[in-house]
Amino acid sequence: MNPENSQSLTRRQVLQSAPLGFGGLALSSILHKNSRARSPLKAQSPPLHQRAKRVIFLFMKGGPSHMDTFDYKPILQRDHGKPLPFDKPKVTFAKTGNLLASPWEFKPYGQCGHLVSELFPNVGRHVDDLCFLHSVHGTNSAHGGALLKLHTGSDNFVRPSMGSWISYGLGTENENLPSFITICPTLAHGGVQNWSAGFLPAHHQGSPIGNASITASKARVRHIQNNRWTSGQQIKQLNLIHKLNQEHRQDLNEHNPELEDRIRSFELAFRMQTTMPEAQDISGESKATRKLYGLENSVTEDFGHQCLMARRFAERGVRFIQVTHSDQDVQWDQHGNLRKGHAKKAAQVDWPIAGLLTDLKTRGLLEDTLVIWGGEFGRTPTVQGPKMDGRDHNPHGFTIWMAGGGVKGGYRHGSTDEYGYYAQEKPLHIHDFHATLLALLGIDHEQLTFRHAGRDFRLTDVHGKIASDIFA
Amino acid sequence: MKKKFITIIFFTWLTGNLLAEEKVDFSREVLPVLSNKCFVCHGPDTKKKDLVRLDSFLGATRDLDGYKAIDPNKLEESEILVRINDKEDPMPPHKAEKKLTASERDILTRWIKQGGTYATHWAFVPPVKKKTNSTGNPIDFFIAKKIKAKGIDMNPKADRRILARRAALTLTGFPPDPKQLKTYIEDKRPDAYERLVDQLLDSPSFGEHQARYWLDAIRYGDTHGLHLDNRRGIYPFRDWVVRSINENLPLDQFITWQLGGDLLPDPTLAQKIATGFIRMNPSTAEGGAIPAEFQAKNNFDRVETLGTALLGMSLICARCHTHKYDPILQTEYYQLMAFFNNTSESSMDGNKYEYSPNIKAPADQASWNEWNAIKEIRKGVLKDAVKIQTDAFNRWQKASEEERFKLLTNPDQKVVELQKRAAIVAKSIAESEKRFTTTLVAKELSKPRETRLLNRGEYNLPVGEPLLPDTPKAMGSFPKDAPRNRLGLAHWLTAREHPLVARVLTNRIWQRTFGEGLVRTPADFGLQGEQPTHPELLDWLAVELQDNKWNLKKMMRLMVTSRTFQQSSARDSKQVDPENRLWARGPSYRLDAEVLRDIGLWASQLLDPTMGGEGVKPYQPAGLWKALMHPGSNTKNYVPDKGVRQYRRSLYVYWKRTSPHPMMTLFDAPSRETSCVRRSRTATPTQSLALLNERQRVEMGRMLGQRLLKESKDSENIINKLFTLLASRAPEEAEKEACIKLFQQLQKRYDKNPNDAETFLSIGESARDKELDAASLAAWSQVALTVLASDIAMWVY
Repeated sequence: MNPENSQSLTRRQVLQSAPLGFGGLALSSILHKNSRARSPLKAQSPPLHQRAKRVIFLFMKGGPSHMDTFDYKPILQRDHGKPLPFDKPKVTFAKTGNLLASPWEFKPYGQCGHLVSELFPNVGRHVDDLCFLHSVHGTNSAHGGALLKLHTGSDNFVRPSMGSWISYGLGTENENLPSFITICPTLAHGGVQNWSAGFLPAHHQGSPIGNASITASKARVRHIQNNRWTSGQQIKQLNLIHKLNQEHRQDLNEHNPELEDRIRSFELAFRMQTTMPEAQDISGESKATRKLYGLENSVTEDFGHQCLMARRFAERGVRFIQVTHSDQDVQWDQHGNLRKGHAKKAAQVDWPIAGLLTDLKTRGLLEDTLVIWGGEFGRTPTVQGPKMDGRDHNPHGFTIWMAGGGVKGGYRHGSTDEYGYYAQEKPLHIHDFHATLLALLGIDHEQLTFRHAGRDFRLTDVHGKIASDIFA
Repeated sequence: MKKKFITIIFFTWLTGNLLAEEKVDFSREVLPVLSNKCFVCHGPDTKKKDLVRLDSFLGATRDLDGYKAIDPNKLEESEILVRINDKEDPMPPHKAEKKLTASERDILTRWIKQGGTYATHWAFVPPVKKKTNSTGNPIDFFIAKKIKAKGIDMNPKADRRILARRAALTLTGFPPDPKQLKTYIEDKRPDAYERLVDQLLDSPSFGEHQARYWLDAIRYGDTHGLHLDNRRGIYPFRDWVVRSINENLPLDQFITWQLGGDLLPDPTLAQKIATGFIRMNPSTAEGGAIPAEFQAKNNFDRVETLGTALLGMSLICARCHTHKYDPILQTEYYQLMAFFNNTSESSMDGNKYEYSPNIKAPADQASWNEWNAIKEIRKGVLKDAVKIQTDAFNRWQKASEEERFKLLTNPDQKVVELQKRAAIVAKSIAESEKRFTTTLVAKELSKPRETRLLNRGEYNLPVGEPLLPDTPKAMGSFPKDAPRNRLGLAHWLTAREHPLVARVLTNRIWQRTFGEGLVRTPADFGLQGEQPTHPELLDWLAVELQDNKWNLKKMMRLMVTSRTFQQSSARDSKQVDPENRLWARGPSYRLDAEVLRDIGLWASQLLDPTMGGEGVKPYQPAGLWKALMHPGSNTKNYVPDKGVRQYRRSLYVYWKRTSPHPMMTLFDAPSRETSCVRRSRTATPTQSLALLNERQRVEMGRMLGQRLLKESKDSENIINKLFTLLASRAPEEAEKEACIKLFQQLQKRYDKNPNDAETFLSIGESARDKELDAASLAAWSQVALTVLASDIAMWVY
């Protein structure tokens, strides 16, 4: 008897003996004829040394300016108003003028003395835990393309999101929750493609909670609640479905893996109806914690709520959690109105991010949780807009930082030129960023492949160099 | 140990002998290996002159300074044989990502030893019909042959009820109507099933259901697709597709009208509407977008859609470079593009609904019928006119001068009457046309645009001489007498000698009948695609389609009446063939998004049967469009329809390309931004949640519960009816018990909490019947909703 059969027989016996027919059964799948008999979401140990077990990605939509936040450029301050002394890229999103000094003061923080602008005084206090990737670069200077590039590695084809790849590679630590959750994602600029599983099996797709136009406290997985059942009562319906499906399976398609997939999806849906509200319910959090995340301040409340949810999901073993700082406004996209815009955005996120880092550290979660902060691109050191108070998109060099999960704290990888336009030292392409991210999770980016349309696909396409200098 | 040794010797001897006899099939066995493992360096796009090319016999036998990759005179000494077995310096080299497997090495070795000759990839050789030596359905002949060779049997026939349901869902997208089902079950004539099939083929639902597949393939949408993603006037095209499928317009004409209807002599209104196909590309009018760039992009999109939908390969690789695997040159891509580069519309849509050129067309099927009816009357009037005029002329001829003068002074009453009739007809036509709506069409420029090869696919890097319209050489020659325009392109596509079109269409017809294609990669018939499971069958059917004048209904009838289709879909316990590549069991798969919704509307009698017209807008969560749209877009606000428009068939759901209806995308409908010839079938927890809690699903459950309760008060009857509707059969005891149990639990609950019942019964627009007891109604509704979400209702099996 082959292992697939023995697996499905046991499963059926178990199901028949279970009082409700449901429960926390780890139903395995035979999705593809060659797949091993296991749940596709079951946690797997990675092939390489695993430094991080899960990821919280704090996505700043719109493109925060690196020169005004974490990448201090004294020469830019000095040469304010002068023309850029070298060529601008051939393709730019829009025209820009001369150099614009950062309107914000920078000061050193921590033992490493990294300079952080006054936009992020609270995150600044954590610099000794942060690993700055100053030389990140991509190619696409439009939001849509850049978002897709960052999330999927491709700006012109539909490809699985990095969260889906990671779920595909590592499974989940908690079978009662999806392995990839995205909180209040933006529907624009690629929208669903930024968390889609593409050609990977569908259970690896990101489960969105609300969207960018919904406040975090009201954000829910769609259709998870209804106003006619108390939590958990839908199990009665699921029991009937299960019964019918089981009959159906015995009649006709006893060994059909797709039918089993359907059963599993109903089960997870049911379990999510209890686990999701529980994970999202922050009423039990202490006053101190609420303060830590800025929930008592109307400016920080919304993003703080998202960050707190992220921690709760991380605690519960969700593999990839994305938190998006976005709304229907222009977010971090200050082509004009930089001073006010960036100040407003930073004020919304600085306190909660610092709170999240503190909280993760206190709970011992930071050790194996990798926190990533960044946007789809940075901004130009050159000025834009009639009021000389804006910066254009700049995919050619910008900063993403990481914390926890096996990265060196207080460390800088690479740099941009003295004005902050181009990645210069140790340039880190988006593909390299992805390769490094997977390496931190213990996955070899060249080995994580999926066969589709006649060839083996990777998150990193045919590229990707690992920046191993950042490993702790 | 000794025994093992002997066994090895025995096997070596055995396999050695077998191999010597077995002729390697180049196209099926060798070419896939060469393509997958060697062409990366030695393929059609090899740039280094000194590198040997293995994509042709000529290339492989080139003298390489004393030796040859394949040496026809000294086959054993061929360099390929040496290198694939060389441990030190192998081919593919150590550093190559893809290496040869032992069996691949064996195939290449046998191939070279047998002569190392080349043949064309199967899909580029025109199909021929092999004799079937069978009086039955030829499909079964080919299928049974292979099944028998594997030493297994076809599955027994499916239960008649199951089969009726399968056929009805396959052909019309609905389960059989209970009355129709009853007639069929009671019909004891030997051809009862064929009669049912004929009824189904004649149903107007047939065209609606089948049209959907074509609309996916050619990316039909109701909006422009880019930037503001504004409204676009094109739905008369969708209605034309439904109409022509129902009227069984031969598929060659179906293709010809769409590609070049405007270029036919004295084109009819329908032929012009059909050219909406050319205008189906997503378009933009974004400030800063470069017209020349979008002129190129719009045409790329057309070439690639044509490729995927009709040629079974997107050709997209050849946009930037000569194809890595398939024999398509970059020049040929642009020669093909030259056919499309002469249409007169601006490359920017101006964000306009009327994005010209456009014409006026009937706004829905009723209006189309009316217009056709009036045209028929006009024909009658004209016919009468000829008769009356001829009579008058004859009378005149025969008449004396006196009589002639009399005729002149007394107007012919018949003519007067005729004029009156003509005036009425003219008025009716004018009135009918007043209700016409805009639809985008193709129009040719009088002076063609120049097309050049674009280096790396960049619009601003044209190179070389202007290219004349032409078609890829590998796919057969362009007909001598055909014009070098879109109409000529259609002649080429539908020519008897074309190796791909009939196969590609047949494969997709098979796919929507049997759940999967004979070629499992319907979008890739090229070298990297899969081989057909039954090459001879595919070819036989492709030629049959052409022999029968491209008759779609006849082809589908042949398929659904085959024994192969009628098998039970039960899987064998040994799992001999998990992917059903032998077709030794009937189809079973989850139904598409549209069908899932339509079944619910139909069973609950909410369905509004109106055909055609502007896209409808069922409920969807608020803010979905707003959250992603530019403030200037006219599709920023989703205003759900009221009344019956909520309940139209899903084919008519408004298709906004940047945000199609969430219940469609949730169940894997494509965005229609690009061609889709095969949908995935996923199972996710969000689907499960939506099935039980989404507003329209709940409303369907509610109205189905109400229908059941109104038709009978008896639990047994209710459940029987529910199963007859959704599963075309009576429930089994266990199923019945489970349903009754849930009903009783819920009824108790709702009796105790009448407010919950009221809340539940007020979801959705349609009013509930106040005569019915709320608790019972709510409980039955939940049962109905649940059964609707089960595999019994959601699968073909």
